[in-house]
Amino acid sequence: MTENTLSKRNWIAGVIVVMALAVLPFVLSKFGRTGEYWIWVTTEMLINGLFALSLNLILGYGGMVSFGHAAFFGVGAYTVALLMKKAGVSMVPALAAAPVAAAIAAAVIGWFCVRLIGLYFAILTLAFSQLLYMVVFQWYTFTGGDDGIHGIPRLAFLDPVNYYLLCLAIFVVCFLLMRMIVNSSFGLTIRSIRENMERAKFIGVNVRRFQWYNFIIAGSFAGLAGGLLTELNRFAQTEFLHWSKSAEPILASLVGGMFSLAGPAIGAAVLMFLKIVLQQFHQALVEIWAIVLGLVLLVVVLFAPDGMIGFFQRMHGKSDA
Amino acid sequence: MAEKILRIENLSKSFEGTQVFNNISFVIEKGELSSIIGPNGAGKTTLFNLITGYHIPDQGRVIFKGQDIAGIQPHRIVRLGIARAFQRTNIFPKMTVLENVVAAVISRQRRNLNLVSPFRNNKAAEERAYEILENVELADMAHRQSGILAHGNQKRLDIAVALALDPELLLLDEPTAGMSPEERKHTVQLVKRLWETLHITMVFIEHDMDIVFGISQKVRVLCYRTILAEGTPAEISANEQVIEAYLGEEV
Repeated sequence: MTENTLSKRNWIAGVIVVMALAVLPFVLSKFGRTGEYWIWVTTEMLINGLFALSLNLILGYGGMVSFGHAAFFGVGAYTVALLMKKAGVSMVPALAAAPVAAAIAAAVIGWFCVRLIGLYFAILTLAFSQLLYMVVFQWYTFTGGDDGIHGIPRLAFLDPVNYYLLCLAIFVVCFLLMRMIVNSSFGLTIRSIRENMERAKFIGVNVRRFQWYNFIIAGSFAGLAGGLLTELNRFAQTEFLHWSKSAEPILASLVGGMFSLAGPAIGAAVLMFLKIVLQQFHQALVEIWAIVLGLVLLVVVLFAPDGMIGFFQRMHGKSDA
Repeated sequence: MAEKILRIENLSKSFEGTQVFNNISFVIEKGELSSIIGPNGAGKTTLFNLITGYHIPDQGRVIFKGQDIAGIQPHRIVRLGIARAFQRTNIFPKMTVLENVVAAVISRQRRNLNLVSPFRNNKAAEERAYEILENVELADMAHRQSGILAHGNQKRLDIAVALALDPELLLLDEPTAGMSPEERKHTVQLVKRLWETLHITMVFIEHDMDIVFGISQKVRVLCYRTILAEGTPAEISANEQVIEAYLGEEV
């Protein structure tokens, strides 16, 4: 009974949030250049939110700390860039190819990584993503090296507002897909591996196999996020593959709460918002972003170890579902 | 002539030069409720680890229903029909009691790869889980978080998770470890009742002689890297070698 009312409340809250997000760009577009800038920022928030959600499939639900998730973000980004710029493919098939290419990369990299656990797993994901970063960095003729790939075409009707709405729609669909996965039998199996890997083996679960599947699924969502960012910026660059890009969704999950579905996306938006507010306040303050981030993390780890969502639930006396 | 469900043949195992088993052999008959006793460090748990694929034997064969399973991965052995409950409680602590058992039932149903339908809508799995929880007297705690249950309840949940796999052979590693004398008696009766009603072959490891002799059809004594003796409880308690090596200190 309580579970039903809780999920009903979540649905209502979700619909309200999505409707508010859908109206937001029309409000923002009334505010001239500042409004346009914030439309761009919120679009990137949605994309970073999707990226954080994708990582959380393995981090929060799977208990696998990956330091190399940017690899799949980057593969998605470069897939869109290369297909649209060099092969002349249009946007929709290019965006559809991004998660597929990322899934293939995740299948190859994950096949090796899931053979290790804990810190060794984390280090190997980092090694693979750095390897990919170096390849993209060096291979000037194909990837443009540190220049990246610029001038990706944009359909005329995709003005900032429409592109925002496209990203919102994709975000909502991906959120519901991930929600479905997390609540499925597969999701329960993944959670059982996180809770107790040894016991999972002794209920007949091929642990490595399921971790591999989960790794591929997470990678493909990350690839879609990367593709969307390429199309937003109209360029792809090596930064998308950098290890610091891998850290972003980890921090977002920590801040937002990794034991809830929406937490990482909220964390991603909050961190981006803080950084931009700091920047708007004074350009020089970007220099101290690392300090602010450090303080935020300190507060989270000390006072809200389950992140913002966990903190909110504790305040309202709800246990996690 | 009863069917042999498990046949251990010439099994040897060493860890870093220390021999745990030297060429042990024994046979477990289908439908039997038997126990393995032995002093601390005799390798009782290691024996279970060898049967369930956690360790790979150096030598010898483990034949389950005619198939040599030595060296096969644990999850495959589970699928063949051997389940185990652990000496140190081994559950999924952040899940509810029901989810613990449902996770095992879903694995048994081979529906782990279903990415679409919510596991909570799997009524067959839920009904089966409740049936098992009734059997181990945990049904009224189905929605509690398992990690905060009392120790005795966690031990019974561990058994429930194993039962959810519909095993033909169930290995129970000290099902009463860490319990009060009252709880012990109760749990032993529970094990006996499960055996009588579910018709599973069961082997359990125990420390407490009274418990072992009270319910086992057959007792095997593991000592000095080998099976020192096997027989009915009466035979074992009369066996001079056993008395000298193991029981002597307690009688």
